[in-house]
Amino acid sequence: MLSEEDAVRFRSMYCGLCHTLGSRYGAAARMILNYDFTYLAIFLSEAGKEDVRHRRCIVHPVHPRPYLPTNDALALAADESVILTYWQLRDGVTDHDWLHGLKYRSLSAVLEPAYRKAAALRPAFDRVVRQQLDVLSKLEAQQCSSIDEAADAFAKLLEYAADEIADPVRRRVLRQMLYHLGRWIYLIDAADDLKEDAVSGNYNPVLLRFELTDGVWTSEARREFTATLDHSIHMVTTAFELWDFGVWTPLLSNTLYTSLFQAGKSVLDGTFQKSAVRKRIKEPS
Amino acid sequence: MNDPYQILGIPESASDDEVKKAYRDLARKYHPDNYHDNPLADLAQEKMKDINAAYEQITKMRSGGRPGGTGSAYSGGYSGYGGGYSASGSSVLQQVRIAIQSGNISRAEALLANYSDHNAEWNFLRGAVCYRRGWMDEAKRYYQTACQMEPGNPEYRHALEFMENGTRSAYQPGGGVFGTEQCAPNLCLPLCCAYSLLSSGGWIFCC
Repeated sequence: MLSEEDAVRFRSMYCGLCHTLGSRYGAAARMILNYDFTYLAIFLSEAGKEDVRHRRCIVHPVHPRPYLPTNDALALAADESVILTYWQLRDGVTDHDWLHGLKYRSLSAVLEPAYRKAAALRPAFDRVVRQQLDVLSKLEAQQCSSIDEAADAFAKLLEYAADEIADPVRRRVLRQMLYHLGRWIYLIDAADDLKEDAVSGNYNPVLLRFELTDGVWTSEARREFTATLDHSIHMVTTAFELWDFGVWTPLLSNTLYTSLFQAGKSVLDGTFQKSAVRKRIKEPS
Repeated sequence: MNDPYQILGIPESASDDEVKKAYRDLARKYHPDNYHDNPLADLAQEKMKDINAAYEQITKMRSGGRPGGTGSAYSGGYSGYGGGYSASGSSVLQQVRIAIQSGNISRAEALLANYSDHNAEWNFLRGAVCYRRGWMDEAKRYYQTACQMEPGNPEYRHALEFMENGTRSAYQPGGGVFGTEQCAPNLCLPLCCAYSLLSSGGWIFCC
C-alpha cells in the first residue's frame, strides 16, 4: 500500500504540474491535467531536487496545498502533455462524425494556442507524436491484427518523451520504461474496450488477434494476453531498478510492482473503474 | 572506491545476517536470470559487479582479512551472458546470433529478412529479435513455430517456456510472485491511472 507520505508527494507533483500548465499556457490548459502526465513528470524529474512549497488555488481555495514549483522536468512534462492531448483530441475529431466530433473540435480549438506554443518549444516531440499517430491510423485502416505492431506505434511515441534527457544511461532506462509502459497502456486500454468494440465494430487489435468475436475472453486467450502484459511490466521493472529515482522510489516501486498488476487484473475481470481510482488520489484523507 | 555499505544500502552497524540478507536481495534483483536477453543487461551486469565487490569487501573486513568469512559472493553469473546460444547450422544465421549478442538488432533483422530458408533456427532467431524489440507476442509465436519444426531442440523449448511462464520467477520486492494473475484481489483500487491516457473521453473534465 502507498504510504501517506508518498500520497502527499504524488499530490505535490500533481499540483506542481497543474501550476506549471497554468503559468505556461493559461488557465484553460489546466483542464488536461491527469495522473498519467503526473507520472510522466515524476519520470522526467531529477531526484533530490524537490523543493515543496504551499499555495491556494481555485480547486483548493481554503487550505494551501503542497506543490512542486516549475523546473525543467515539469516544464518538459507540461509541454509534452499539451502536445499529446492536442493530437489525441484531433484524433477524436477525425474518428467521429460531425455531431460526435463536436466535443473534440471545440476542446482542441480551446487548446490550439497552447499547442502552437508547445509545438514551437518541442518541435521534435511534436513531429514524433504526429508521425506515430499517423502510423496508428494506418494500422487501424488496415485492421492490423498484430497487437505488437499496433502497441509499438503508441509505445514509441511515449518512449520519445524521454529523448531530451541528457544522461545516456538515464535516457536508456527511461526510454525502455516508457516504451513498455506505453505498450502496456495501449494493450490494457484495448482490453478495456473489448465488449464495446465487439458491438460497435471499432478497430481493436486485441479483438482481432485473439479472434474474440463477442468480446469475451477465453481462458486460453487471457493466459496468452496476461503473459505478454507481464513481459512488458517486467521490462519496466528491470529498467526501473537501474536508475536511482531518489525520493520517488517507494511510490514508483509500489506503482510498477503492484498497481499495474492490480489495474490489469481488474480490467480483465471487468471491474476497473477509472473514476474510483481518481477519487482516491484526489481527496486527501 | 564507493562505500560498500552504501552500495548494499545498509548501515555499518548491520549484523552479518543483515549484510547477507541485503546482498542476497540485491543479487536476486540484478541476477542475470532477471535480465535474460534484456536490452539493458549490460547495466545490470555493472550493478552486479559493484554489489559483488561491495559484499566481498565487507566480508573481508569483518573476517579481519581472512578469506571465507560470511560466505562467498555469487560468482561469474554474467560471464556467460548471451553465450547460451548454441552454434548455428549456417554462417548467415551465425552472424545473426553475433549481431543479437552485440545488441545490433537492426543488422540481425536485415540478415534474417534476406535469408530465404525459414527453418526452425530462423524462426527462433526471429523470435529473439522480436523479444529485444519488445514485440513479446510475436516473439512467442516465432518460438512456437521453431518448437513445432524441431520439437527436440532444448534451446527453442527454453525460449518458449520463458515466454509462457518466465516472468513468474521475476524479481518482486518482498519475495512475492510477479504477475497480473498473481496479485491478490484488491478491495481498494491502487494508485494507477497511467492507463487513462488513451481514453480521451473520460478524463478530460476530471480536474
